[in-house]
Amino acid sequence: MSLISPLALLGAAIIGPIIVAMYLLKLRREERPVSSTFLWRKMVRDVEANAPWQKLRRSLLLLLQLLLLLLLVLALARPFFQTQGISGRNLIIILDHSASMGADDEPPSRLEAAKAKAVQLIDQLPDGGQATIIAAGGTMQVPVASTSDRRELRQAISAIQLDNGGGSDLSQPLTLASALAAREEDSEIAIISDGNVRIPSDTRVPARVSYFPIGRASENVAVSAISLQPGQNSQTLFVQVTNYGVSAAARRLDIYLDGAIFNAYNLSLDPDPTHGQSIVAEIPPQVRVVEARLDGQDALAADDRAFAVSTLGDALTVRLISQGNRFLETGLALLPGVQVTKPISGTSTFTETATQIPVTIIDGSAPATLPPGNLLFIGPIRSTDYFSVTGEIEFPSLRSISGDDPLLRNVSLSEVSVLKAARIVPGSWARVVVDSDGAPILAVGERDGRRIAVLAFDLHNSDLPLQVAFPLLLSNLMSYLAPGSGAEASQLLPGQPLALQVDASITEVRVTRPDGAVSSSRDGGVQMRDGQAIYADTDPLGVYTLEELRDGEIQATHRYAVNLFDQQESTIAPQRDLTVPQTSGAQSTTTRQRDGRQEIWRWLALAALIVLVVEWLVYQRNGLAYLRQRWRQRRAG
Amino acid sequence: MITEPLLESSFLRKLDRLSILTKRAMAGDIQGERRSPRRGSSVEFADFRPYASGDDIRQIDWNLYARAERFYLKLFVAEEELNVHLLVDTSASMDWGEPNKLHYAKRLAGAYGYIALSNLDRVSVSAFGAGPHPQSMASVRGKRGAFPLFGFLQRLTPGKGGDLAKTCRTYAQTARTPGPLLLCSDLLDPGWKDALGALSSRRFEVTVMHILAPQEIAPELDGDFKLVDVEGGEPVEISADIGLIQRYREGLDAWREEIESFCNGRGMNYLAVDTSVPVDEFVLSQMRKRGVLR
Repeated sequence: MSLISPLALLGAAIIGPIIVAMYLLKLRREERPVSSTFLWRKMVRDVEANAPWQKLRRSLLLLLQLLLLLLLVLALARPFFQTQGISGRNLIIILDHSASMGADDEPPSRLEAAKAKAVQLIDQLPDGGQATIIAAGGTMQVPVASTSDRRELRQAISAIQLDNGGGSDLSQPLTLASALAAREEDSEIAIISDGNVRIPSDTRVPARVSYFPIGRASENVAVSAISLQPGQNSQTLFVQVTNYGVSAAARRLDIYLDGAIFNAYNLSLDPDPTHGQSIVAEIPPQVRVVEARLDGQDALAADDRAFAVSTLGDALTVRLISQGNRFLETGLALLPGVQVTKPISGTSTFTETATQIPVTIIDGSAPATLPPGNLLFIGPIRSTDYFSVTGEIEFPSLRSISGDDPLLRNVSLSEVSVLKAARIVPGSWARVVVDSDGAPILAVGERDGRRIAVLAFDLHNSDLPLQVAFPLLLSNLMSYLAPGSGAEASQLLPGQPLALQVDASITEVRVTRPDGAVSSSRDGGVQMRDGQAIYADTDPLGVYTLEELRDGEIQATHRYAVNLFDQQESTIAPQRDLTVPQTSGAQSTTTRQRDGRQEIWRWLALAALIVLVVEWLVYQRNGLAYLRQRWRQRRAG
Repeated sequence: MITEPLLESSFLRKLDRLSILTKRAMAGDIQGERRSPRRGSSVEFADFRPYASGDDIRQIDWNLYARAERFYLKLFVAEEELNVHLLVDTSASMDWGEPNKLHYAKRLAGAYGYIALSNLDRVSVSAFGAGPHPQSMASVRGKRGAFPLFGFLQRLTPGKGGDLAKTCRTYAQTARTPGPLLLCSDLLDPGWKDALGALSSRRFEVTVMHILAPQEIAPELDGDFKLVDVEGGEPVEISADIGLIQRYREGLDAWREEIESFCNGRGMNYLAVDTSVPVDEFVLSQMRKRGVLR
């Protein structure tokens, strides 16, 4: 234990003698004449028989006053214990609330332990120190910023809840924390997490970073993938179970079909986060919901269950306007759940609504009036309402604009050669995905409430259809143009919004959450905009049921499964150190035992207050005795 | 200087109806109205006695001679005056308290003396406290003596204080005729036992008026004090709190009980007097109740 301001102890050296001197002065008693001291003498003789106690009693007030002085002076000297913790005056706490913090190896959960740690750090703040709370992992939240109100800070900490979605990316919180830290002197960033986070290597944090690891256990088995593929007369269930721990585990996997047990598999799993054990089973076609549940317990319960919903019968109808394109027809036929209709060539009136046929592929020349719904133009010849064709490009070299565009997922364009492509000038709506020397080759965007994609070259003028990239690109384009359909679309990550194209005649959309709560477009829980129903609150895991209603009657029912398929969250082994580059040059963020200061002056002040009350009671003991006597008398009579 | 009369005339009129009660007949010097242990000339028959030469032949009961053929004298109860002694403690400790103890003692002695005078008894007053020898007044008799009695009492001034036991012993030895004795004192003296013992050694009929002021019975002290004795005794330092006051009162009660049992054992009347009780009320009710007056 050390003292912050030891000079305050001098106060005791000055005030202590004054108190003693006052006491000695007080001992010179007031003189009071009495008729005779005869009786008093007699009594005092009795009293002095137990003199030591009497003397003590007489000086009890002095002792209490000296004790009070001692406590107050000690409190002023501000003693502290060195603890593991923080020392800065501007504290920024990054509290991980991602799914892995739901592990219960630190009862009741890692998140609660992290909150307790955060409160402890808040308590260690020096007077006038301020703190910011950043809830990281999942969606970033900043419940309080730069406040010294400890009550508000505690409330903000206790209000933080687990967020299943969004992973554990710390780049955004660290950037924000760096900005906050740069503003103030003597800043410190505390990361409270289990350490399974992504940290950007390019930032340099201009403050000291301390990492407080939470969690002990590392064993966790998870259902890492589930899929229900529609077939002709049955469905194929695919479940993958992965052991993210460090030692081999044996678990039983139970498969439930529409709530009834279907099969159980005993699995022995080697610790290997990249290779799970897979199960494939044929499922009757009428099954709507499949649940895979790992029996037994591990630290993280959220990933022990996974759901898949049947998409059988939810076929996506695609209208193909073409002069005949074998590649395209074959490619579309390969996509599961896609049904192709071809209107009579030359037709330019389309009676079906966008709900019935949501996607139209226009290969080559476009009809005079564009059909409703989303559009994919392939090798356009003439300008349309949405773009102009100004010429041709010979031998364009394809280059993707952004490395991780979802449209180009798994698609490699480096091998693709194109003979010629249309030089198109899209409107401002378009986002160019692939270009060639500034000329857009693939552009996507939204306009007039519909999604539009333009591929500038005719498939016959390239070797794209002969490559693996073609079906993948087609599939990605279909996912973009027809969101909320197909087997893939029925699987959502937590927090990922649920979007569905709905017909204009639909008056209400209702979503039943896994816990049974119902949200409706009537009360604003589900948003309806531009013919789309969007429901964003998909953090809880499980099956969401979306119903389309027209005048109170259910027109269609869709099911969505929200699963925690995140290797980073399922790997729960806590990290002992985080590498965060700091401007000081340090990389490590482990805290040393002597960094924090736990001040105890508040307790000393409290003790002083208690002593003060006791001293007052002792001083007023006559009155108290009188009151007690009165009370006894009243009780007696 | 016109001073306030010691006792109001209305009170005196009430006192006229009272008389001093004695437990036994006491001898006086001259004829009075009280039964004396001696034989004398009253109308009340007492006894017969065989004649001896030299007896007054007028007292021979001739009727008895006719029957017994011997000479017997017929004796009658003598009626004599009482010698009432008033002892007033005028030590400094008595001149204290509110109401003042000495003034109270004077009034009490005056009332008692007036009752005696109105019954044709002889009253002598002694005040002690100033020194080894008591201040005394020549004894008075009859209602005419009330004026010098009251005057003497009113002139009494408090002395420094002395040895209560010694003065009482001296008084007991020098008093000519014993009789009812009223001692008005606070007995705040270590020698109170000797003093009372000395008085009980002669055939006085002692009534102890133990006069204490309310401030002595229930002192209102709170805090640290140095108590100074007005008679120059050793000062005492106390830290008064309710517990100490409680113990003081217990000590006081025990002391009073001790005095009372001492007095009862020697045939003395003991009356504890609180000066907050008016004198007339005390005399008319308490003293009658306790059989000191009738």
